[in-house]
Amino acid sequence: MASIYTILVALFVVILPVSISGDTCLAPQVTSQSYSTPEAVVSFDTVLIVEFSLTCKNNLKNINLYADVAGRTLPATKTSEPNKYQISITDEPKKLPSGAYEIRFFDEEGFALLRKAQRSGESTGSLKPLFTITLNHPGIWSGPLIQSEFVAAMTAIIVWWMAYTQRGKLLA
Amino acid sequence: MAGGKQNKLSREEELLLQDFSRNVSTKSSALFYGNAFIVSAIPMWLFWRIHQMDLYQSAVFFVIGTLISTYLVAFAYKNVKFILKHKIALKREDAVARDMMKKLADDKRMTKKEKDERVLWKKNEVADYEATTFSIFYNNALYLVLLIVASFFILKNFNPVFNYSLSVGSAAGLLALFSTSSRA
Repeated sequence: MASIYTILVALFVVILPVSISGDTCLAPQVTSQSYSTPEAVVSFDTVLIVEFSLTCKNNLKNINLYADVAGRTLPATKTSEPNKYQISITDEPKKLPSGAYEIRFFDEEGFALLRKAQRSGESTGSLKPLFTITLNHPGIWSGPLIQSEFVAAMTAIIVWWMAYTQRGKLLA
Repeated sequence: MAGGKQNKLSREEELLLQDFSRNVSTKSSALFYGNAFIVSAIPMWLFWRIHQMDLYQSAVFFVIGTLISTYLVAFAYKNVKFILKHKIALKREDAVARDMMKKLADDKRMTKKEKDERVLWKKNEVADYEATTFSIFYNNALYLVLLIVASFFILKNFNPVFNYSLSVGSAAGLLALFSTSSRA
């Protein structure tokens, strides 16, 4: 009885790594598209969106992926198309300045390690992600430096000021 | 006149009266109302194109606002012109007299009184013209300042109809009010 139990455990120990490695995406190939808010005239928040499709050498499909970008972690949303994912980050323009954002993607296993590192307060930089996508956010245009109504008002005030001083001279 | 002996005013007196009267000639009245109408119609464009009001739906507000504003702006033109006219007449008096005297110097037949009358008439004309044009310029400038500041800054968060009524009303009203001050 005990021997059967030992054999089962041994078998499990042997099979387990194989089954786990079967869940890891090997040699991931990513094609991505990204979008970032270009202006803040008609929008309050900056949004960064990355859409990508993932192909694994071992033909894994629809695995769960997690993204880590600038200290925040979020799950990648699966889209209706197979192996196509999307992540989006929304925040105030100040908190998402222009620049290159390196988005690191983890699978379940990597994400568990990431959470562990975060919980224990360790640096997560040493963790090896499944793959990374770099998003270049060129910054937002917050409208012209001087509002056109301000220019109109200043012009009107200058013209009126000239008229006013001229009137003062005539009345003096 | 004194004692009722003389019923008719002399020409000189008539000219003097004209100089000091608040009444404006038909010609300058037409000029005032025409200009007041143009400057009062400008906000219509501003609220139509910039504040996105519908031209036909808001036609009632636009027409009423323009008419009231035209009346008030023309009122301001008249008041400012009246105040300016004396001052301008005093300022230009010497120059006009010198100019007229030079022109009339050759005319030996003209009497001194007649020459004075000509000078007075010319002075009146010059002052009237300058006061009219300056009054239009000054009031237009002030009206546009009041309108732009009211519509773009003070009332910018109100709905356009309210913004239009209040900014046009207050710009024209303040303009009329300022014009009644004799000095400033």
